[in-house]
Amino acid sequence: MDIKILDSWLRDYLNTKATAKQIARYLTLCGPSVEKTQKVGEDAVYSIEVTTNRVDCASEMGIAREAAAILPIYDIAAKYTPNKSVGNYKYSDKVGYLIASIDFSLCQRFSAVLVKNVKVGQSPKIIRDRLQKTGYRSINNVVDISNYLMHEMGQPVHTFDYDKIKDHKMILRKSKRGEKITTLDGSSFTLKGNDIVIEDGTGKLIDLCGIMGGESSAITKDTTNVLVFIQRYNPINIRKTSMSLAQRTEASFLFEKGIDPELVGPSMQRAIKIFKKITGGSVSDTILDIYPNPKRKKSVTVEYSMINSLLGKQIDKKSVLKILEGLNFKTSIKDNLLLVTPPSYRSDDINIPQDVVEEIARIYGYSNLDSRLMAGDLPDKLPNSPFEFELILKQYFKGVGGYEIYSNSLVSNQEVISNALSLTNPLGEDQKYLRTSLMPSLLSAAKANTSYKDKFLLFEMANIYIPIRDNLPNEKVFLAGIFVDFDYRNAKGIIEAFLNSLHLDYEFVAQDFADYSPNKHLLIKAKDQDIGHFGYVNKNMIYWEFETTLLQKYHRDYLAYKTPAKYPAQIEDLSLILPRRTKIGEVIKTIYSSSGKIADVQLNAIYKDVYTLRIHYQDSKKTLTDSEVEQIRKRLLARIKSKYSVVLKP
Amino acid sequence: MKNDIQSIKSEAVAQILEAKNISELEDIRISYLGKSGKIASFTKNIKNLPPEEKKQVGVIINETKNTLLKLIAERKNALSTSTREWFDPTVPGRKPPVGHLHIVTQAIKQISEIFENIGFVRVRYPEVEWDWFAFEALNMPQDHPARDDWETFIVDQKPNDKLGRVVLTPHTSSGEVREMFRVKTPPIRMINISKCYRRQSDVSHVPMFHQFEGLVIDKNISIANLKGTLDYFVKNFFGEDRKIRLRPYNFCFTEPSFEVDISCAVCGGRGCKLCKEGWLELGGAGMTHPNVLKNGGLDPKKYTGFAFGWGVERAFMMKNDINIPDIRILYSTDLNYLKQF
Repeated sequence: MDIKILDSWLRDYLNTKATAKQIARYLTLCGPSVEKTQKVGEDAVYSIEVTTNRVDCASEMGIAREAAAILPIYDIAAKYTPNKSVGNYKYSDKVGYLIASIDFSLCQRFSAVLVKNVKVGQSPKIIRDRLQKTGYRSINNVVDISNYLMHEMGQPVHTFDYDKIKDHKMILRKSKRGEKITTLDGSSFTLKGNDIVIEDGTGKLIDLCGIMGGESSAITKDTTNVLVFIQRYNPINIRKTSMSLAQRTEASFLFEKGIDPELVGPSMQRAIKIFKKITGGSVSDTILDIYPNPKRKKSVTVEYSMINSLLGKQIDKKSVLKILEGLNFKTSIKDNLLLVTPPSYRSDDINIPQDVVEEIARIYGYSNLDSRLMAGDLPDKLPNSPFEFELILKQYFKGVGGYEIYSNSLVSNQEVISNALSLTNPLGEDQKYLRTSLMPSLLSAAKANTSYKDKFLLFEMANIYIPIRDNLPNEKVFLAGIFVDFDYRNAKGIIEAFLNSLHLDYEFVAQDFADYSPNKHLLIKAKDQDIGHFGYVNKNMIYWEFETTLLQKYHRDYLAYKTPAKYPAQIEDLSLILPRRTKIGEVIKTIYSSSGKIADVQLNAIYKDVYTLRIHYQDSKKTLTDSEVEQIRKRLLARIKSKYSVVLKP
Repeated sequence: MKNDIQSIKSEAVAQILEAKNISELEDIRISYLGKSGKIASFTKNIKNLPPEEKKQVGVIINETKNTLLKLIAERKNALSTSTREWFDPTVPGRKPPVGHLHIVTQAIKQISEIFENIGFVRVRYPEVEWDWFAFEALNMPQDHPARDDWETFIVDQKPNDKLGRVVLTPHTSSGEVREMFRVKTPPIRMINISKCYRRQSDVSHVPMFHQFEGLVIDKNISIANLKGTLDYFVKNFFGEDRKIRLRPYNFCFTEPSFEVDISCAVCGGRGCKLCKEGWLELGGAGMTHPNVLKNGGLDPKKYTGFAFGWGVERAFMMKNDINIPDIRILYSTDLNYLKQF
């Protein structure tokens, strides 16, 4: 959480000659980060980020305590100057002016005091001024004191108009689902249950605890008797309420981080002092303080050697003790063991030796620690690591002019198979399902670019998620792409050359497949396993995909060496007339199978029904004579004539 | 007259082809194509021709003029480039198609190479993950905000008795304990790069993004090693002139925990609009919490370690010259954007 700290107010609790700039700098290095320091007249306002474990810092007092521990490390004298306790007040768990019944699982400490005959009016200038500089709006002295105390000490303080609490009775309990309350800002809420609430003697809700007070018991200009109210609430309930009602008040921020119950006492003392002084009210002699299970002190034992080994540097015992004492930690040393007892406001955060090491390290200064790479053995490499291979695949498609995209794995219901995994809390219906194919994503990316004038190729490598009953889904990495406005032969050639570049033995099988246009799909197989698809998905887009683990499995980095052919091939072009609806791929296959001496067949040109093939005849043992070539040619022509009625163009 | 024009033309062509230098060529031009040249005299005589011939002769004169002009220009070019073979190097090239790898791919490549150079092993773990690996094993209490429905996507599936709900992993830290299970006996130097998901979308957040997670576990691993590793990465990824600093922070799965800042490239660390007093937040890091080591089956008395998990996109956008104002632009599929990188 971010807080604003006023330099002059901070110095109520901190006696130091450090400049604002120094304070900002050293706090950031060793404690809560000061993100900005702004000059306000003679004064300065620090914007400070307090981490969730350090709610004890979220106040003028808390920052002063930190600064007092940090500044002396940089040779700047600084002393924390806490409030002195005031007057002789009695504390009791029963008082005449309020009957309270409390669920202690919701509220660990409940305290209140009655202040009579207050005069509601404007706050003194110093209070208004300080509140305004730290981001509050001045309302009236009673409300201002609550904010002033909360900001100064980090303890939310609430005030009720005492005379509006029916029967002067409070029952603090969990809310029931459907209960309603109107808060003092006029908003009405229907509660979901398990919120911390207080009902009065008539059963009416008068406080949405830790979030905002009820409208019915709010302070007005006519208020004369005020109940000052300081509690320690269960942080989990507060967070749930504040999130579910979207009411993120400063009080809720503090409560949900778990405030030290020991802070209630000093805050009450301070409240009494200010109330008396500013409102002229008279405070009851007895303070209601119900605190059945006071917080226990706890200690952590740290091996001294562990401090040095975790820091990677030798720090002498004297410095260690000085740092811890500066933080108000009690310490004792026995041989190599250090016994550390943190103050109550830190005890939730300090549980294990590493927590103590963190305190030492941060105050010592992370920038004062060494920087060096690890010595020691290197780990083994990952067996069958896919990453280098995946990059090679991507680079091929970049090389042929493809554009890589990253699209969202979360898609709509229309874009997945029927049993796809879905989310219980999607950001929208269009992002509710985990995709089971990359096709819909690539199609919509392609369609979004149709105003583009030239042909283009988009591709993506990403997981698809195939559900498995009662288990995590199978996450398969797919490489997929879409050719837009490409000539079919060019597109297919890019895929053929891709597979050739992987030295992969593949086969195209023409057969229809879901989501592809009829008659326009090829299944791609390697050793009888389906490794990919290629085909038209509409009239100008050709989609293709491969499962990359299968490409990796069937690919070869290189092939075994083959002696280059010693004897040259005889090459000739044959122009064939194909009857309509004859598949040229099958004709070529048949030509290959007609003789072992046909080394290569290329389709050179298509003109109407005439297909010109360039045939390479070759024998590894000798140069073929013309008559030998003629015999092979005759056989191949006979074969394709009988099978497909394909004849040579006259 | 037609024949006259033809013979003058032949005569001129012969002279042009035989011209030895540019001034000779200029003389030829004036004598044939000049104001009072031979061709002009034909033009003047057109008016004396019978009407049916006028048009025809006009066409012939024009053709002749054009032919001679072209020949003179060619001869001029030939003379000025002397005896060399004529070649025009200014003709625009015919480009092969040039594709683009997405900048996330480029960033991941750079990041993994830097860490692989210092012995890290790149791995990848599930994006759809058990709550146990994503949170519980990382020492995150049941009521931790990250485990709330409003921060992490929950998969609609029956929870497992031991491993809990199925979630979309909100961070690559889920791979830490998986890596400990895989390796079993340290040393571990892991770099885990994967897609992550969080319920957020604004100028600096997208619901799907990438993180890279470093994890080092061995005997005697210290904060000094963490600093050494991060220094090495930052110098190699961002440049020698960039510095890092660690600030105290708080994470459940590390103790101590740090926020890592990098010096701002725009102002050089003096402080500007883009940064906080000269520094930019890079991400979290810390010394692996003993509970996390225990959950990974390692003895925290014997081994210590450190981890860091940062956004790939975020780190890339902090390079000094990229200037992408909104992270969501990174995921555009518009060709005009894709072609830029």
